[in-house]
Amino acid sequence: MTLTTERQKIRHLLRRTGFGASPAEVDAYAALGLAGAVDRLLNPQNVDDSATDGIVATRRVKAQQDRQALFTLWHARIALTQRPLLEKLTYFWHDHFATGLNKVNNNSFMLVQNETLRAGALGGFRDLLLAVTRDPAMMVWLDNRQNVAGAPNENYAREMMELFSLGEGVAYTERDIKESARALTGWRVIAEKRDPEDNNPYPTGVVITPRQHDDGTKTFLGRTGRWGDTDIVRIITERPECAAYIGRKLWQFFAVPNPTDEMIARTSAAYFSNDTSIRAMVRTILLSDEMYSPAAYRWRIQSPVEYVLGTFRTLGMTERVLKGVRDTQGMGQTLFSPPNVAGWPGGEAWINSNTILARANFASNVTRISRPDESIDVAAMLHAAGKTRTAAEVVDYLLDVIVAGDVDPQTRSLLMEHIGGSNHFDFAQETKAGTLQGVLYLILTMPLAHLA
Amino acid sequence: MQTMPYDDDSFASRPLDRRTFIKRGIAFVGAGAATPPAFLRAVFDEQSLPISTTSALTDTARRVLVVLQLGGGNDGLNTVIPVGDPAYARARPSLAINAASALPLGNGLALNPAMTGMKTLFDRGDLGVVLGVGYPNPSRSHFRSMDIWHAASFEEHSETGWIGRLLDATKHEQDSLWRAANLGSDEPLSLASRATFVPSVGSVPGYVLQMDGRLPKQSARRTQDFVEIQTRQAEALAQQAEYGGQLAFVSRTGIEAYQSTVKLQSAVKGDVPRTTYPNTPVASALSTAAQLISSDLGTGVCYVTTGGFDTHGNQSGTQNGLLGIVSNALLAFYDDLAAQGRTKDVTTLVWTEFGRRVKENGSRGTDHGTAGPVFIVGGGVKGGLHGEQPSVGSLDDNGDLKFTTDFRSVYASIIAQRFGADPRDILGQSFAPLPLFA
Repeated sequence: MTLTTERQKIRHLLRRTGFGASPAEVDAYAALGLAGAVDRLLNPQNVDDSATDGIVATRRVKAQQDRQALFTLWHARIALTQRPLLEKLTYFWHDHFATGLNKVNNNSFMLVQNETLRAGALGGFRDLLLAVTRDPAMMVWLDNRQNVAGAPNENYAREMMELFSLGEGVAYTERDIKESARALTGWRVIAEKRDPEDNNPYPTGVVITPRQHDDGTKTFLGRTGRWGDTDIVRIITERPECAAYIGRKLWQFFAVPNPTDEMIARTSAAYFSNDTSIRAMVRTILLSDEMYSPAAYRWRIQSPVEYVLGTFRTLGMTERVLKGVRDTQGMGQTLFSPPNVAGWPGGEAWINSNTILARANFASNVTRISRPDESIDVAAMLHAAGKTRTAAEVVDYLLDVIVAGDVDPQTRSLLMEHIGGSNHFDFAQETKAGTLQGVLYLILTMPLAHLA
Repeated sequence: MQTMPYDDDSFASRPLDRRTFIKRGIAFVGAGAATPPAFLRAVFDEQSLPISTTSALTDTARRVLVVLQLGGGNDGLNTVIPVGDPAYARARPSLAINAASALPLGNGLALNPAMTGMKTLFDRGDLGVVLGVGYPNPSRSHFRSMDIWHAASFEEHSETGWIGRLLDATKHEQDSLWRAANLGSDEPLSLASRATFVPSVGSVPGYVLQMDGRLPKQSARRTQDFVEIQTRQAEALAQQAEYGGQLAFVSRTGIEAYQSTVKLQSAVKGDVPRTTYPNTPVASALSTAAQLISSDLGTGVCYVTTGGFDTHGNQSGTQNGLLGIVSNALLAFYDDLAAQGRTKDVTTLVWTEFGRRVKENGSRGTDHGTAGPVFIVGGGVKGGLHGEQPSVGSLDDNGDLKFTTDFRSVYASIIAQRFGADPRDILGQSFAPLPLFA
């Protein structure tokens, strides 16, 4: 599909840079125009999000102790934030620097990492990579706190290059892994018990122990010196392969499945002329023609977090989110729990018979007539929008909210028939029969609704 | 009409209109395709086929391959332990397991002490251990090495797995939607095929399309419209180049998911497994596999994945715990199969993407290495040791074991001896078969 109107482009932009959008939110971004919308998204520091911060702050202590509360803390921010791109990038970096709660086994460590990723999400990639290298949760997850002079532990060194910065086998050898592992030796995590009620120590920082650090000469990526972690990060992030690796991943996350070399060269140029700035790379992508090209349109399969929280956010069901969301797990995704250090495989891997049933059953729960606290009252939603007169009005409104009106005529007429069609529609009767709930169920489970 | 996956009698009298599906299949032919797409054929074929009974199947058709993948790179040296080799103990000052505690297999080798379940299977003659399995120029990246094992190929970005190709090559007209099953949420590359749908299932009771219980009169209509929309979107939009082809894929999966719930819920036996399984995810998955195998669904492949073997630090407790879980789950699975008289039909392959570095690191763990043992359980296996244990005294330049058996030889033996297919068609070249099966 060719995106022709500015409103269509902005809705496409919001699908990629956020987690769903309510009709009011769409209107607010549309009023800014495309350039204004991109500017607002890229500068979260200029957007007041104190209401979200306040709700999250009251739940922080509980999140340090209880896993479901930890998930809810992030779910709530995703559902409520006025800074969607910042949150989307925090999620991107969580998938990129994938760290799992099971091994880390400490909510506070995960919470601190989440805050580190958010703080660095749009900053310099060099700073972010160093912050992650010294992040307490990462220190536990990839064992760098146990990496000592004399008998290095290669785990972090290997994945830092393979997954976090260069790509598998790109520009480095097994020898570079061994040498950088030496440079990363000697760090440990400092943690303290802050609350007598809480058994989990809180990470307050990392320190280097000189006698466990190998300060000898290392040759890494062809450069020789008495390198430590800042040097390793600097040497890596100066490589064109690093800019290309991160740039490709960002193009794929926001825009198109197969960015060309020329497109990657553009983000690399933005990276090198802005001191490794992530914001500059993302701006290049969001303002590119390719971002709004037919090849960019709805090819991305939404992740469970995008699908579930996007549905709640679009429908304004924030109370439901605060009660605790478990629906993504059966679809193959739990935040803070990627399957391994490579993150979620994503794309087509999100969709199989088991997960498509889980998605449909989630839609069934959301539209269940019997659970007012758990589900959406479609009749009330249509009343509020003033869309109660005809089957076409109802169907077109719901299609607009959920899939921006992108539907084939056959599906549209089938949805109209579901509520009596052009001739037999009666709002009160359809409300009573539950078919309005049914129409929303059928739209949420449309194949197209899984694509962003 | 078969039993519905939800409690709604009204739907039974309003089955999906099969002719509509057939007509759509023909419409696809008219649109230029040589035959109806596989997924649509599956939709209407599935409803017309009788469910075969296992007893009526030929010996080969009764055979099942179960794959159990140990993700993360299991340390082979502390799984099948060269207890008689002093070089092993020297390389592992804190991690070496001594002969007194390990479970002897003969030839100076012994199983990890936690693997009592698999020792029982070994003693019954139902466990074959293939030693030193790997491949040339080994990758020490988890993900690259997993891809190599899954695809049985060294190409970058393989689109099909070795089992997927095997399924395609041995496809029969009467195959059911449940010919292969992935027990879990993430489908492995091993199962990726060109033409075979593979359902993923968590639990049998959970594998249903739920409807709103307060609206029983709506369930049938809603279910029907759900399937219609999947089909219409496949038809109306999927053939367009837009949406990156993903709309076709999602639509097709939606239809197959629905059809496979109907098939599963009608076929599966209500009775509980005949043996008790441990309360672990891997045991649950194997229990579900046993349920499928015993349900006359025609299931020939089940895939189970478990993880946590990436033991860079404090290896002993973690690895012993995981090996105990895997070993106990396998024993429960084979006890269940034995009770059903299916031990000889069901072959389980246990693999991991690499073994670990011979010399332990400074955190009582091991870094990524190379070759390791592969286990073959049941299904006509010749119990005992196969192949040659790599020498701890003769390592490669990186300090890793040199493999002695190519993993593709193991696959070739399974393909030829259990499935009666030609390994060259699946693996692209010949590999010396191993005498793994009686």
